[in-house]
Amino acid sequence: MGRAGRFIVRQDEASTAVEVLADGRVRVGDAPDPFTVRTAGEGHYLVSDGSRTWRVAVVGAPDARFAGTEGLTARVEVEPEGAAPRKKARAGPGETAAPMPGTVIEIAVEVGQHVSAGDVLITLEAMKMELPIRAPRDGIVSAIRCRPGELVQPEVALVDIS
Amino acid sequence: MITRVLVANRGEIAVRIMRACDEMGIDTVAVYSDADAHALHVRAARHAVRLGPASPSESYLSIGKLIDAARATGADAVHPGYGFLAEHAGFAAACHDAALVFVGPPAEAIAAMGSKIAARRAMQLAGVPVVPGETPTDQSDASLAAAAGRAGYPLLVKASAGGGGKGMRLVRHEAELAVAVAGARHEARAAFGDGALYVERLVTHPRHVEIQVLADHHGHVVHLFERDCSVQRRHQKVIEESPSPAVTPQLRARMGEAAVAAARAVGYRNAGTVEFLLEGSGDEAHFYFLEMNTRLQVEHPVTEAVTGVDLVQAQLRIASGLPLPWRQDELFQRGHAIECRVYAEDPASGFLPQAGRILLFRVPERPGIRVDAGVESGSDVSVHYDPMIAKLIAHAETRDLAIVRARSALSEFDVLGLATNISFLIGVLDSEPFRIGAIDTAFLDVNGSAFIAPPPLPPAAIAAAVVHEERTAGAAAAGHARETPDPWSTLQGWRG
Repeated sequence: MGRAGRFIVRQDEASTAVEVLADGRVRVGDAPDPFTVRTAGEGHYLVSDGSRTWRVAVVGAPDARFAGTEGLTARVEVEPEGAAPRKKARAGPGETAAPMPGTVIEIAVEVGQHVSAGDVLITLEAMKMELPIRAPRDGIVSAIRCRPGELVQPEVALVDIS
Repeated sequence: MITRVLVANRGEIAVRIMRACDEMGIDTVAVYSDADAHALHVRAARHAVRLGPASPSESYLSIGKLIDAARATGADAVHPGYGFLAEHAGFAAACHDAALVFVGPPAEAIAAMGSKIAARRAMQLAGVPVVPGETPTDQSDASLAAAAGRAGYPLLVKASAGGGGKGMRLVRHEAELAVAVAGARHEARAAFGDGALYVERLVTHPRHVEIQVLADHHGHVVHLFERDCSVQRRHQKVIEESPSPAVTPQLRARMGEAAVAAARAVGYRNAGTVEFLLEGSGDEAHFYFLEMNTRLQVEHPVTEAVTGVDLVQAQLRIASGLPLPWRQDELFQRGHAIECRVYAEDPASGFLPQAGRILLFRVPERPGIRVDAGVESGSDVSVHYDPMIAKLIAHAETRDLAIVRARSALSEFDVLGLATNISFLIGVLDSEPFRIGAIDTAFLDVNGSAFIAPPPLPPAAIAAAVVHEERTAGAAAAGHARETPDPWSTLQGWRG
């Protein structure tokens, strides 16, 4: 423990540089005061900056790791600085993927049709709500990868646009 | 006495009902859809019956399948919980016809309160205050306009048959009326198959204050005081409490009497809730009948905390034909209770409901804290049902202490793997308007965005994630060896 090193932590679009100091304390970004991190049980940490202490929980396999504190939670990816990026767990671009599992209630386009960025391609129903899946950019619909009534999973492209 | 109850519901309320049955020596039957085959409520029951596919219409809303399941398992009673078929008069009647005790009111009382027009008329006859307004019998545009003129502006045009805001229009001036009536009528027909409308004056800055009632089959009706549910987001309750910071003893007595009169007027039995809009506060306040919920409410635990009454056990005793064990003057409120509803939804993405696996679900353990949950670590939250996954109830001597207790417990409530509204709840509890109790039902819709924390986690969480990565990676590489003994890791089960 207490191995000094530099890391990059990614959550969605944000990435933060983190340095573990020789004494085991952790400097996050350009914050002036490093944090002291104590273990308080399995995947459970007490993190202090000298004036305040946070309880933090961390769970999940390295490719699906979540951290949470004070009711906030996010998926985090931790990589040693300079290391080759870990193989992405999330599939493909997923530009036309469902944000959550849902049922296809309408397919608004056909193969070969020209679409403009923002056009509704598919309408899903999930959790009693209608969710439109929109074209991420201008292009031609080259494939439709779902059927009306199908329950689709997130991170899988529903429509290909070339 | 009832001996075996089929619980026609899922999630936290099914689990909660089964626990009450266990304590009373009543056998339990769970029902489940394919999406819930491994759900907590299925394991909480002694018997379980599959209903069908995940879609509610093929499972939890299928009256035929539920009655068949009750017959097949030898159940003699059905508890509907809330939602699904709980306020469906046809389901109560179907249970009755199948010689099953419906743990709730008679079908006639559900029907009487299910129509806004009929309920309002019954309340007026019973002397229960209603919001100024009327329901023209001929429903012509001219009659609706005349009724609107008498009620006064601003006003609401509402669907008689509806709920959940469908077919409802706000009309500020007379000039807006014609368009609103046409729109509401169309929407009401589409949603409920019934275009009947009524108009009522808009009560400005109301609080939502409701009274819990219990009625037995021996002519006794009591109320168990109020719950204040003014913290709502788009008509969805988020935080509820009892007592209400706006209610004085004199007002409480008046509202309680009105609620009991409302229950008597429709021949009510079992547990029910009479909802009121409260205009103003204290002895001078006005209250108006809103609707009656003919079932157990989501927020029933705050009443249980302050009165010491187990409402589900009371329901089961009443359904078994036993008389209420207390008179009105034997019931008291003690201390203050606050309930926070934990939803699997992401405040930062417009409260988008979240589906996926809960990797960690760790409930806070503190004195005065109760958590009713329908999930556990490893549970899947599906797209098919309500995203509410748990309720946290804090009970303390005073309102201030209950707020602190709820806030402290929420900050220790670890739900990881999908986004929840927990940080939003903490933000509301911390806010000045909530702390001083100066809010109305529009509070969250106007001010809610202030409680949405931006997505990146605080730096402290980043630091912990890095240390976790180092340790788990190090452990994987070096087997069980550690360079130095870590006193924290030797304290098994210790919780910060």
